[in-house]
Amino acid sequence: MKQSRTEPPFRRLLIANRGEIALRIIRACRELDIETVAVFSDADADALHVRAADQSYRVGPAPAAASYLVADAIIAAAVAAGADAIHPGYGFLSEQAAFAAAVEARGIVFVGPTPDTLAGLGDKIAARQSARANDVPIVPGTFEPIAVGGVGDEQRIASIASEIGYPVLVKAAAGGGGRGMRRVDDPAELSAAVTAAAGEALQSFGSASVYLEHYVEGGRHVEVQLLGDAHGNIVALGERDCSIQRRHQKLVEEAPAPGLTADDRRRIHGLAVRVARSVGLRNAATAEFLVTGSGEAYFLEVNARLQVEHGVTELVSGIDLVHEQLWIAAGQPLSDEVVAASHDLVQPDRHAIELRISAEDPARAFAPMPGRISRWREPAGPGVRVDSGVAEGMTVSGDYDPLLSKILVVAPDRDGAIRRARRAVAELETGGIQTTLPFHAWLLRHPAFVSGAVRTDLVDRDWAPSPLREAAARRAISAVAQLLRPGRSASEDAGTPGVAGHPDDRPDATTGGAWAQIARREATERWP
Amino acid sequence: MSPSRLRLVALGVDDDLVVELTSADDPDVEHRLVPRRLAPTADDRAAGRDRFEVTVDGWVIVVTAESADRAALRERATRLSAVTGHAGPLTLKAKIPGRVARVWVTVGTEVQQGDRLLSIEAMKMENEIRAPRAGTVSAVAVAVGDRVELGSDLAVVG
Repeated sequence: MKQSRTEPPFRRLLIANRGEIALRIIRACRELDIETVAVFSDADADALHVRAADQSYRVGPAPAAASYLVADAIIAAAVAAGADAIHPGYGFLSEQAAFAAAVEARGIVFVGPTPDTLAGLGDKIAARQSARANDVPIVPGTFEPIAVGGVGDEQRIASIASEIGYPVLVKAAAGGGGRGMRRVDDPAELSAAVTAAAGEALQSFGSASVYLEHYVEGGRHVEVQLLGDAHGNIVALGERDCSIQRRHQKLVEEAPAPGLTADDRRRIHGLAVRVARSVGLRNAATAEFLVTGSGEAYFLEVNARLQVEHGVTELVSGIDLVHEQLWIAAGQPLSDEVVAASHDLVQPDRHAIELRISAEDPARAFAPMPGRISRWREPAGPGVRVDSGVAEGMTVSGDYDPLLSKILVVAPDRDGAIRRARRAVAELETGGIQTTLPFHAWLLRHPAFVSGAVRTDLVDRDWAPSPLREAAARRAISAVAQLLRPGRSASEDAGTPGVAGHPDDRPDATTGGAWAQIARREATERWP
Repeated sequence: MSPSRLRLVALGVDDDLVVELTSADDPDVEHRLVPRRLAPTADDRAAGRDRFEVTVDGWVIVVTAESADRAALRERATRLSAVTGHAGPLTLKAKIPGRVARVWVTVGTEVQQGDRLLSIEAMKMENEIRAPRAGTVSAVAVAVGDRVELGSDLAVVG
């Protein structure tokens, strides 16, 4: 089929999302001359995506359940704005079949798979069944929801689990993005874990359906980028390794996956395309695989949307995945460039790494740390791309995902990409809230990571933040002591590198030094 | 005025790092680190304390600076009140902003150290607040669904 990409694919597109991904989509629309419509909650009235879009609509108060997850409010905004398409981004409503169907029912194009495909893939158990029916290897586990609370259920679950083999993972059928998962090592804990997981799943996903899967020790998480058009063409655009995780959530992603041969790649890309074909995939999606230490690949699930980490694939392939999503949604066939890239990516000639900078404290088990960003200077320079949803002075709300920014680097090979990533990490300046930055600085010098020996349990096994943070605290104390040392004058302080021009950062500048000032205060104020 | 001693405290995750220096000491040179002065809290003002933030290798470290003599005096006063048995009820404050997801206790609940009191959900993650010591819950300041800010009162264990 001949391509005609002369007119913009859409006139006006609403982005049903926030943060960095909303900005990412707005940028793609700008490049294709599509007008953009943002939606926002009360917490985001002044957010970057609202400022960047051509127009914006409020959809509710801060909690996502009352704003970004309210399908009716978002569709009403699209109708009011006269949008002819909606891009859902990732998370929120992106994989909800009912939302996609409601959008299409209003005559608006949903940038994503068909509602039927979403419904099929949203149920992870159905996805496992479909993979099995298509001879795609899957992790040993159940193919039916686990019943809980009934007579004899406990014994039944126990016998299934011992058949699968411990450790087992209890997973929510409607889960995703690493949520709704529990690992069980001890058979005595199984029943309680299944009950708790089912309760959690009901609360988080509206369905109590859970299933069991064998937990593979030392495995890697490898996923294949897929693109499919409305004419039945489906290609794989290379793979990504996303093994560096905590709590089953990704911290670092890279493309290509280190250590795979061209044959390995061809095989896993082929499996992914087979799964995609079996569910009639259209638009962008990702097939996730677990790769064992011995190199076997087992299908896990399909995420039927743009992934957070899509940028590493863009840097390696040269393909703009959001552009392609929009052309596909407008009915265009896959371009010749996409088809050519899908062949080239069996032997990629570049390497890209993405670091997720999140508002989390890596010294407190990556606990979320909302707050005000008092300092934020992004890296730049050759081979560096930054996709951010924040700016200096903004307050990070506790209502949403803690992802602030993604730092992506690209270089001719993995070693070069790691060096470039170290440089970019050193350039990023942060203040006000703790981020995952120190973790990245550590990882990029971790021997196992540097050698390419990535595993999903690397963070749990090797991340020991206390000594690192304490060394940083000692240096921080030295820096403050220096600042306060006697004889330090106002003019000297004003000349401190990096301070000029940023009044907020100016250290206390008093005649005779701050040390003397503290001593004076001691003399003039009485205690107690 | 005699050479003054300065107490510098880097606030830690579990333990704070405390360093005392006299004006004659020569701290390590850290040219590339620029401390940022933070607005003093009410406690800082009362204690005559200065508060700085320094980012080191991505770690955002808060350092307080005050006269070591004053700090010693205050510590003595605190110890004194503990000895005379005025430990008093303990007010638990929110260490992260978020929404109250669950409350396991009510006024009058007897708790042991480490018992779950309530949980705060922030950014898709539930954080449990546990009893720092045994006692009786004498107040619960929040209910499920409430929004809490950093430092909000949550509950009092008497």
